[in-house]
Amino acid sequence: MSESNSVEKRILESLKSKFGESILEDGWEGALAPKRIKTFASREKIVEVAQAIKELGFDQVISQGGTDYPKDDIFKVNYHLIAVDNEELKPIILSLATKLPRNDPKMSTLTNVWRSAEFHEQETFENFGIFFEGHPRMERLLLPEDWDDIPPLRKEFTLPGR
Amino acid sequence: METFEDFLKRIIVVVFWLLLLLPFIIFPFIFIVVPALGIPLPTANQVLTALLDPLKALPLVNDLGLGPSSLFFKIAAFPGFTFAALVATGIILYERKLMAKVQVRVGPLYAGRFEGILQPIADLVKLLFKELLVPAKADKTFFFIAPSLSLALATALLAVIPLAPDIFIARSEVSLLIPFAIIGLTPLVILIAAWASSNKFAFIGGLRALHQLIAYEIPMMLSLVGVVILSGSLDLFGIVEAQRGLWFILPQLLGASIFYVTMLSELERIPFDLPEADTELVAGWLTEYSGMHFGLLQLATYVKFYALAVLFTLIFLGGWIGPAFLPPFAWLLIKLFFVITFMLLPRAFMPRVRMDQLIRLGWVWLIMLAFVNLFIALVQASIGVIL
Amino acid sequence: MEVVERQGDYLTMSVGPQHPGSGHMRLIVTVDGDIIVKVKPDPGYVHRGAEKMCEVRTYIQNIPHLERPVIIDSCGILFAYVLAAEELIGVQPPPRAQYIRIIMAELNRIISHMYWLSIYGIFMGHSTMFMWPMGDRELFIDLAASIGGTRVTFSYFIPGGVRNDIPPGFKEKALKTFDYFVKRLKEYEKIYFNNPLVLKRTQGVGVFKREDAISLGVTGPNLRASGVASDTRKDEPYSMYDTIDFDIPTYREGDSYSRAWVRLEEMRESMKIIRQAIDKMEAGPVKQPMRGQIKGKVGEAFARTEAARGTMFYHIVSDGGKFPYRVKISVPSFRNLIAMSHLLEGNRLADMPVIYWGLDYWPVEADR
Repeated sequence: MSESNSVEKRILESLKSKFGESILEDGWEGALAPKRIKTFASREKIVEVAQAIKELGFDQVISQGGTDYPKDDIFKVNYHLIAVDNEELKPIILSLATKLPRNDPKMSTLTNVWRSAEFHEQETFENFGIFFEGHPRMERLLLPEDWDDIPPLRKEFTLPGR
Repeated sequence: METFEDFLKRIIVVVFWLLLLLPFIIFPFIFIVVPALGIPLPTANQVLTALLDPLKALPLVNDLGLGPSSLFFKIAAFPGFTFAALVATGIILYERKLMAKVQVRVGPLYAGRFEGILQPIADLVKLLFKELLVPAKADKTFFFIAPSLSLALATALLAVIPLAPDIFIARSEVSLLIPFAIIGLTPLVILIAAWASSNKFAFIGGLRALHQLIAYEIPMMLSLVGVVILSGSLDLFGIVEAQRGLWFILPQLLGASIFYVTMLSELERIPFDLPEADTELVAGWLTEYSGMHFGLLQLATYVKFYALAVLFTLIFLGGWIGPAFLPPFAWLLIKLFFVITFMLLPRAFMPRVRMDQLIRLGWVWLIMLAFVNLFIALVQASIGVIL
Repeated sequence: MEVVERQGDYLTMSVGPQHPGSGHMRLIVTVDGDIIVKVKPDPGYVHRGAEKMCEVRTYIQNIPHLERPVIIDSCGILFAYVLAAEELIGVQPPPRAQYIRIIMAELNRIISHMYWLSIYGIFMGHSTMFMWPMGDRELFIDLAASIGGTRVTFSYFIPGGVRNDIPPGFKEKALKTFDYFVKRLKEYEKIYFNNPLVLKRTQGVGVFKREDAISLGVTGPNLRASGVASDTRKDEPYSMYDTIDFDIPTYREGDSYSRAWVRLEEMRESMKIIRQAIDKMEAGPVKQPMRGQIKGKVGEAFARTEAARGTMFYHIVSDGGKFPYRVKISVPSFRNLIAMSHLLEGNRLADMPVIYWGLDYWPVEADR
């Protein structure tokens, strides 16, 4: 484990040396687990950080999704990244998170960094109302065209009968 | 809202008017028109006995000029439309059972006591009772004409195709050419049906049918030139009689293969069923047809199938020629059975080809091979293989 | 007044959602003659909000709920959820349960690939290739049903193990089925994979270049057909996959034909894996008992597994309650959807079913 752990540590350290402590959300311990790296970037810097992560070898967005925290008045957006073409990084999933204020849910798109984020961002847009600036097609994907309620995955949207 | 009593009242009114009006039509027809035309009319006694005993009906029908030797009987019953339609339904059932056996299934099983033998009739009844749906934007005249026209063209093929020396409808000096003249018209009907449907998938299917015509028509005609050279005749009787010594399939194997491939293409059978490719075009040019319209189109396809199978038997397998212990017609049916089986089989193990591949096949390979076949026939004729 | 948009001589048509060549989704296809100019995929016809519904169900109630998107591969979609939930709940499955999970997951992979193969056959008009795999698939469904109890939706994986042990006599029955199926696969190759017309229809059709496949985020067999040996079972071995010896079939061509071969070879590998898993299994408990209300610890967990269509990924956030706070399901079909317009444009209309189903796109899974 120590040998494989060192790869994750090295990646995190190289990111930290570039962007400072802000890359760690919950300190050093929270960010590292076997085969897992959790990083954080503010929305102003996320494209820069994403570019650096891509240069390290993470070439696919496996998942992108938001989480609604009405108590803290934020949305958290997670990008989960994997490397399919890099033997050393293959076991690792890297999570890149950012926080957006609920009253201004906007961030710049990462489709220019990873093309595979395109449909995921569209889905997050319709489910949370988070607007991705610079996305080629910021429109409905899964929801019906006549959906006129609030975005359904926000916490204030309650399921009828529950 | 109509109540049940209104419904009954309506029926009673209709029956009343029918009972009142029918004598005014029927009695003048029986007592004035028929005697004036000089048609011998059976008595009521004869009609009733004929209903009980079909053999007694025969002289009555003969008297009316509709007996087995009359032209009407030949066209309508045997060897014309009814016989062809019966064989066609038989082919449909046989195809389903054959496919089922290849694919490790049972196929139709429950209609009829034996192996689902009444399945075609059950299908027919189902189609008869289905609603005829017409698209709102369809060109209704042509939409309704196309199925009948398609069946008419398929039936017209039967006119000059003999089944035995004494079983035929009409004889012609050029009876080899007439079926191909008729076949050349079928894509036109398809295009009428496709255009009248006003459906995008049907439209593409119709255009594909035209493209397909370009691909198969010329090799189909060319592949038979070799047979014409060897037999020295354009008459199907002459071609069959020329095969007394040797069936043409042996010297003309290449021609027979080309004819077989183009025949499948003409019938839109599975390697070449592009106009109705169901996963791309829903059902191609048949998309909007439902109920008995679809039934007629289907029947037309299989009547055409039967006619082309008979043609193949006559041209390449010696038609009714065979040892004398069986009548000629029986020999023809036996050969026909094998030809039909051979024509059905590709559906079991072949996928559909693509349009560009089909046109390449037709224009590059089939035409080239047809010319090669032509030279083979010329060589054979000069050294006298057949005669 | 009606505005008619005319762009040259193009024809735009809706392929689906009511079309024999589409699932519950629509492709808006623009054709120029026989050539496809533009394709816009329109998913969402079977969107049920599975992620939202997860938030009002307990960790156990989510199990039958989450299999519904892809019932023919129900263990595949559930595996990653169970792994992530176990991390949050804090239980470990016993080794025997882990081997049984492998057996079920691989059986489901075969069942799913067989379904795919038969539809691939009929999409090219090859009706025998539709009937044969559909019939042989029943044998594997019987095997899986003897473990899981039902035909497709097993609800068999639970956090902390599996629901019940495999029945006695399973090994003999499985080996008999495999011996028969290995022979059948050779017949499939004869009638279908080496059929010259199938070769003509699929070879060089819908070619996915290696770089495009990676950058578009394509996953699973589609990625492996383009020459990227990426398989979660090898990359990040979960649940005893590291003790089993198997290969990842990889092809370099990236066309529809190699995508079919990848899946055919995967069925062989799956049988190899099940044989080994049966042998390596030792007697023991199959689940860790859990008492009381199951609650996840505060935090988040993510897990990925290799389902039949590609890498299945779950991201579960827990606030310490009995319901998950947020469940993000990232399904392979959704990630493969982006490839549809990339591959179809420039091809012929007749290639549309071949490419569409060659990607093994399952609309219900993608829509969730």
